[in-house]
Amino acid sequence: MSSALSISKIRELNEEYGMFYSIGDGKGLDGSRFHFSAKDNLTTKDHPTTAGSKILSNYRPPFDAAAVERLREAGGVLLGKTSMDEFGFGTFSVNSAFEVPRNPYDRDRSCGGSSGGAACAAALIDGHLALGVSTGGSISCPAAFCGVFGFTPTYGRVSRYGLLDYGNSLDKIGMLAADCATIAELFPLIAGADERDPTSCGHPPMGECRIPASIGIPSESIKGLPPGIRKSFDEAVTKLKDDMGIEVRTLEMPMFRYAQPAYYIIATSEASTNLARYGGMRYGARGKDLGLHFDRYFTSVRSENFGAEAKRRILLGTFTRMVGLRDRYYLRALQVRQAVIEEYRRAFKDVDAVLTPTMPFIAPRFNEVAGMSALEIYLADHLTIPPNLSGMPHLNIPCGYVEGMPVGMQLVADHWDEGCLLQAGMEWGKLFERIRPEAMI
Amino acid sequence: MDKETVRRVAMLARLELSEEEIESFTKDLGEILEHFSMLDELQDLDDYGFNPVEVIDVLRDDEPHQEIPAEELLRDMDTYEDYVRGPRLS
Amino acid sequence: MKIGLEIHVQLPTRSKMFCACPTDGVTPNSAICPTCLGMPGARPSLNRAALEMGLRLAKLYDCKIPERTWFSRKTYFYPDLAKHFQVTQYDNPVGEYGVFDFRGKPIRIRRVHLEEDPGRIKRVGRQGEEMSLVDYNRSGIPLVEIVTEPDLSNPAEARQFLSDMLTEIRHTIGLSDENEQSVRVDCNISVGIERVEVKNVTGLRNMERALKYELVRQTKMLRSKKPIVRETRRFDEERKVTLPARKKEFEEDYGYIGEPDLGVYNIRALAESLDEKESPLARAKRLCEEYGMAEGTSRQLINTSMGLCDLFEEMAAAAGTKASLYLVTDVISSNWSKIKDLLDEDMRAEIIEVARLYSDASVNDIEARRRLRALFSEDEVAETGSAVRGDPKLLEDAVEKAVTANPGIFEDYAKNDRAANRLIGDVINSTKGAFSSQEIVLKVKERLERDL
Ligand SMILES: [Zn+2]
Repeated sequence: MSSALSISKIRELNEEYGMFYSIGDGKGLDGSRFHFSAKDNLTTKDHPTTAGSKILSNYRPPFDAAAVERLREAGGVLLGKTSMDEFGFGTFSVNSAFEVPRNPYDRDRSCGGSSGGAACAAALIDGHLALGVSTGGSISCPAAFCGVFGFTPTYGRVSRYGLLDYGNSLDKIGMLAADCATIAELFPLIAGADERDPTSCGHPPMGECRIPASIGIPSESIKGLPPGIRKSFDEAVTKLKDDMGIEVRTLEMPMFRYAQPAYYIIATSEASTNLARYGGMRYGARGKDLGLHFDRYFTSVRSENFGAEAKRRILLGTFTRMVGLRDRYYLRALQVRQAVIEEYRRAFKDVDAVLTPTMPFIAPRFNEVAGMSALEIYLADHLTIPPNLSGMPHLNIPCGYVEGMPVGMQLVADHWDEGCLLQAGMEWGKLFERIRPEAMI
Repeated sequence: MDKETVRRVAMLARLELSEEEIESFTKDLGEILEHFSMLDELQDLDDYGFNPVEVIDVLRDDEPHQEIPAEELLRDMDTYEDYVRGPRLS
Repeated sequence: MKIGLEIHVQLPTRSKMFCACPTDGVTPNSAICPTCLGMPGARPSLNRAALEMGLRLAKLYDCKIPERTWFSRKTYFYPDLAKHFQVTQYDNPVGEYGVFDFRGKPIRIRRVHLEEDPGRIKRVGRQGEEMSLVDYNRSGIPLVEIVTEPDLSNPAEARQFLSDMLTEIRHTIGLSDENEQSVRVDCNISVGIERVEVKNVTGLRNMERALKYELVRQTKMLRSKKPIVRETRRFDEERKVTLPARKKEFEEDYGYIGEPDLGVYNIRALAESLDEKESPLARAKRLCEEYGMAEGTSRQLINTSMGLCDLFEEMAAAAGTKASLYLVTDVISSNWSKIKDLLDEDMRAEIIEVARLYSDASVNDIEARRRLRALFSEDEVAETGSAVRGDPKLLEDAVEKAVTANPGIFEDYAKNDRAANRLIGDVINSTKGAFSSQEIVLKVKERLERDL
């Protein structure tokens, strides 16, 4: 592999872009089969694992996440752990207790989130494979903002053993890379059953890979797009038709608008129970005084160490599963998820894949992000949420540039049919001219 | 959503919030829940699952084994005679 | 008085409920792993044996078993709870709406569900400011919780009920005595209208004491027209009183959600595939019907051991009911603790042979008992008894000898005819099985009546 790559170069790059929270010693890098990074919510024995949270400062897990373990066994060298929004709670990677990654095309702009560091590393390090994690769009969004391929497989395709949970019924480990062929080559290494994660067991193997013959575009997804994004998306669609011979149709998917509230309810309900365990007893941040009554002790550790967005989501998720509210929010949200899955199933009777733009705007500047309300930020995910809520595999495909910033489109396939996505991505890669970021190494 | 509810929820979640935090979370959560209320339009759904794909009958045989030695797991914990120290009970 | 019970029993699996850690860890925090320590990134995986045991119990109570079951997270904060949520069952537990036939009185079973145990807390330091030390060996140990409707009407009945229930549970899932002692019960008691819950009472005896204490306390309150408040109390084992549980700062809201790391289980088909062993109480009933046994006798047999019942049924098949029942209820059950360890194929065959000989009158009862005793105790000599069977002269001599050895026997017998037992005992000993006890009793009574 690229012999020019060295850890010192990565360190230099990281000074400018902050994509890594922790960088390894690069042992074995020369002559290795490939190099990769892991989002910091994947456990690693030789790096601290914090998920971007102060409450896990200096936590060193006693085991490697299954995906990390499998890539290492296959001869990959882990360069480091990539920065992220605390526990995956965010769309711009600014909700981190540590490093905030900067966009490879404009350091004043966000990488997107929550796998922002992963997308940044994939864009800037030649031949790099970044392990990312998506709950509601955390791979697609930063991949779109950083102009790389971002692949999120079917829920359950990759073992979540060693993933620090956000929403267990939504979390999916995927991959980001500048070249889709890198993903297509390495993804099979991490896919498949692992008895340490029951939700990864008992699924069909990855199917035959064929480019989708037909795709559908939900009319809901292109309403109200900014003109630049719309133009770029339309041009890409024309290319899909003319150069790849794919039949394109318009679809109606009226359930889409309900996916977003359902997603936030399920995700935060699950997150608020997952985060209950952080109380300063066995790992991560400790309280100053065990002489405090346990309620006070847990409360003080949690209040001091969780960031604002984590607190907001814990509150929201605790609320939506309370007695008397559970049926209206939590159970209803589960029902909506089922209805969204059924809507996709109906669509997949007519077309092989569903296509939408990935994000409704280009990577925002940090000062723009700071001015957004919590609800505005939640609403920004409305195109990435439906496939994530329903566990459908999806791929962000870089499809153009607006104001010098990358734009992406998102291709969604049926459960277990991710092969067709990677095939389409590789074909597209041959037709699409990527603008390489200047700082690339 | 009102401040009292936010205080009660924060207590359940073992979070202590400052007055400013309560103020801003009350506003945020109010807006978000208002947005969620569109789900009330959907009354006739009944099917649901806890996972988006079927995960059925994944069981483990009753065979004891331990992979990671206990000492390694306890390495960074605050222990006293092999017990893990916890906060005061009363 | 109305009593309802929530019974928690540890399931006797080899590994924990959601991880492979052994269930027999001795030194603190030796049987632990990332899963039962609640470490981030570790996940649960359900033990098949625990699910099957839960289903066997649900079947035992004739519960309605749903097509599918799943687990839920019950969130609350306590230092012994590794994840600060307990994985338990909320909706669709392994069984609902069952019934337990308690000696002819149906006690309704509301639900049977599975859950994990939290860790064990050791309290150290001065009372009122105790610190916690946690041992996670217990964390993730499988428990079954059986909840009854308030169909029990007094403390003694509740104790009997729980004892019967444990007999059945012990047999159904192979519970050892040790596990049985660790049974924990939450009791709901209402004498008037308001319900009081006494939480976390350990063992049968403590449960009965706690219930009696509450019965008296609540009755007194009612008599003096004081209101009984709906509350949670605890049982102080040393002082043998119930006390109000420490008031919590505020009411928890467990906020149950489905456990998304496990998926769902199709249990109806699994439950049907489990072979059904006859339960002890069903067996007691059958023994009465099939062998004409008294109810007390059949209960004595099942309470001693199902192995004893097996032996009895084998003997009855070879030597008939009457002889077998006599030997089993007499010498065999009183020596069962010794016999059960020695009972191999040979021993079985020898016991059955004695029963057969006794049944066709080749040996009398005394000789049969003596031979059996010789089989399972070392100090009993295995010599055969007197060879000359039934020589009436020998019996008469033995009776005369006994009369001489017991001066004043006639006066005693005149007052109470049970005095004859003294002579009978002496004669049985001196004739070493040459005569049956019936013959001896007859002869002794004849002799006493003659000279009265
Ligand atoms: Zn364990």
